[in-house]
Amino acid sequence: MPTPYEPAAHPRPVTDGGPDAGVAGSGLPVHPYELPPAQPSRPPLVRSRSRGWTPGVCGAVARHLGVSRRSVRWTFVLLTLAGGAGLAAYVFLWALTPEADVDADPTQAADPGAAPERRQWGLVLVVGAVLVVGGAVLLTPVLGGGVIGTVLVPLFTIAVGAIVAWSNLDDAQRSRWLGSGEGRYGWLRMALGVGLAMAGILVLVTRGESVSAVWDALLAAIAVLVGALIIAAPWALRLWGDLRREQVAAARATERADIAAHLHDSVLQTLALIQRQSHDSAAVTRLARAQERELRSWLYAGPQGSQSTLAAAVTEVAHDVEDLHGVAIDLVVTGDRPYEPHGAALAQAMREALLNAVRHGGTPVTAYVEIGPTGVEAFVRDRGDGFDLDSVPEDRLGVRQSILGRMERHGGAARVRRRDDGTEVELRLPPIEGGTS
Amino acid sequence: MSSPTPTGGGVQSGPVRVVLVDDHRMFRTGVRAELTDAMAASGIPVCEFVGEAPDVDTAVQVIRAEQPDVVLLDVHLPGGNGNGGVDVIHGCFGVQARSGAPVRFLALSVSDAAEDVIAVIRAGARGYVTKTIGARDLITAIRRVADGDAVFSPRLAGFVLDAFGAAAGEIAEVDEELDRLSAREREVMRLIARGYQYKEVAKELFISVKTVETHVSSVLRKLQLSSRHELTAWAMGRRLL
Repeated sequence: MPTPYEPAAHPRPVTDGGPDAGVAGSGLPVHPYELPPAQPSRPPLVRSRSRGWTPGVCGAVARHLGVSRRSVRWTFVLLTLAGGAGLAAYVFLWALTPEADVDADPTQAADPGAAPERRQWGLVLVVGAVLVVGGAVLLTPVLGGGVIGTVLVPLFTIAVGAIVAWSNLDDAQRSRWLGSGEGRYGWLRMALGVGLAMAGILVLVTRGESVSAVWDALLAAIAVLVGALIIAAPWALRLWGDLRREQVAAARATERADIAAHLHDSVLQTLALIQRQSHDSAAVTRLARAQERELRSWLYAGPQGSQSTLAAAVTEVAHDVEDLHGVAIDLVVTGDRPYEPHGAALAQAMREALLNAVRHGGTPVTAYVEIGPTGVEAFVRDRGDGFDLDSVPEDRLGVRQSILGRMERHGGAARVRRRDDGTEVELRLPPIEGGTS
Repeated sequence: MSSPTPTGGGVQSGPVRVVLVDDHRMFRTGVRAELTDAMAASGIPVCEFVGEAPDVDTAVQVIRAEQPDVVLLDVHLPGGNGNGGVDVIHGCFGVQARSGAPVRFLALSVSDAAEDVIAVIRAGARGYVTKTIGARDLITAIRRVADGDAVFSPRLAGFVLDAFGAAAGEIAEVDEELDRLSAREREVMRLIARGYQYKEVAKELFISVKTVETHVSSVLRKLQLSSRHELTAWAMGRRLL
């Protein structure tokens, strides 16, 4: 298995800016300034969520270090034999490594049976419980009241309980187990873990004596614990509050810095441009309009996607036409639907209509697009003298071909209406077939 | 611009007394100059500026003192409880113009954000126009608001169609239903969204301008009173409920 740490390619004998660096020895064209592809330095240390019976620690370490899983496993086994360090490391890693969805290795993903929805925790638990109980039953008579029986067995029980309970810690895991119908199972696991740990502690504390003998001490310990909690609670709460406030303040500061950076890059630059071109009123208008639009979309629209929806597409078309001719277009869009070829045709036809409107019509140019379950309707309106469909031959071609014809080819319809003060182009599209969008 | 007669609305004696509330002095000066020029050009003194204010608290004082017919109100203002124009409307609750009619508010904003517009409308504004509106259109809008009618920009009509689900085909069965638009109201809103003036809407639908005004006012009432989730959510966002 190749590791991610192998050099990206054979080291190239490239001298920076050397005269013949372009063809350094080999027949292949070599780009002198090409850097090795920027890779994330190494995969994060996360446990795979979806596979196997083990917690996935070895797999995580193997992925992170880029070595084979088998060698990691053997290392752990060897370390365990050498005084138990491996076991401690394993438990430590298990507790502290977050879980995540990791892209499966292709070889293992191809095996259909090997990828169950989740680990077979039930089976693991049953086997574990049987082992623990069996071990305890077998060991107790043999070891009697020896140190091993009274210390190691309870310690082991506590450890198992802690592991069972802590395996619930991970947030994603918790929501997965408690949130989605398997809540009972999750709680059961938690209760089992806590119960095991408590039993272990109890056995460890009593050391074979009767419970009543340590009862007073137990009570005292609990009283001290509760008292300490009461004393510490206000401090802890205040600390927690301070921490939260600091986090919020930090978030605000970051956001403010972002805004300042954006304003500097966009608005201040545009203002500088406008001052420089103040004699050219058309340019000033265009700059101001473009900047306004950009700022508006940044302020109100959130992150801009690509042309993934029809509403975004027609908005972009309107902006294009605005930029081309420096005429403001009042665009209103309601509803939305995915962007597909018919919608693309509508957007293109609308672009032609808008171009006609800003060229031949008068301001204001308004456009309204309604995207609903009964189809799409788009209206482009100008306030000029209007263009007569029959008296403007070159436009006739443009309108006939690019608006009327295009809409009809895509199952829609188009209509040009001359009004008293201007022209209105109507475009219609049927709803997406079979799609509920 | 197709309605060049700003006095086409109701009959009212004397010019409309207007207070201008905006935190940008340049904008206030600009609007005053533009409107004064437009009125001088048309020869009809439709409105008269009786005061202006840069923030919420001054605005409430000026409005209470001057008792104007119409307040041109910016949506975003400093002062008050931090809700801008909404605070001004709340602070002037019950104030009457000298004519005895309630003081009417026309929101004037650069903001396209639905929550801003809907919040100020739900607080009681009679309409919303963007700051890029032309002087003559603004005069018409002021006149209309002074007469108690509603003023919808194409964008506000678009919001309404979206918010009431009308664009998605939800239609009220009875006109009184607050949470949906009637078929006629939807038609009117669609035409306004397409950029039609009231007069053109009337012509298109073969109804009178007065009927169009009635429909628009009815939509405004629904916008203010409806408990549709889309509207209350916007108002909640501004901590108004």
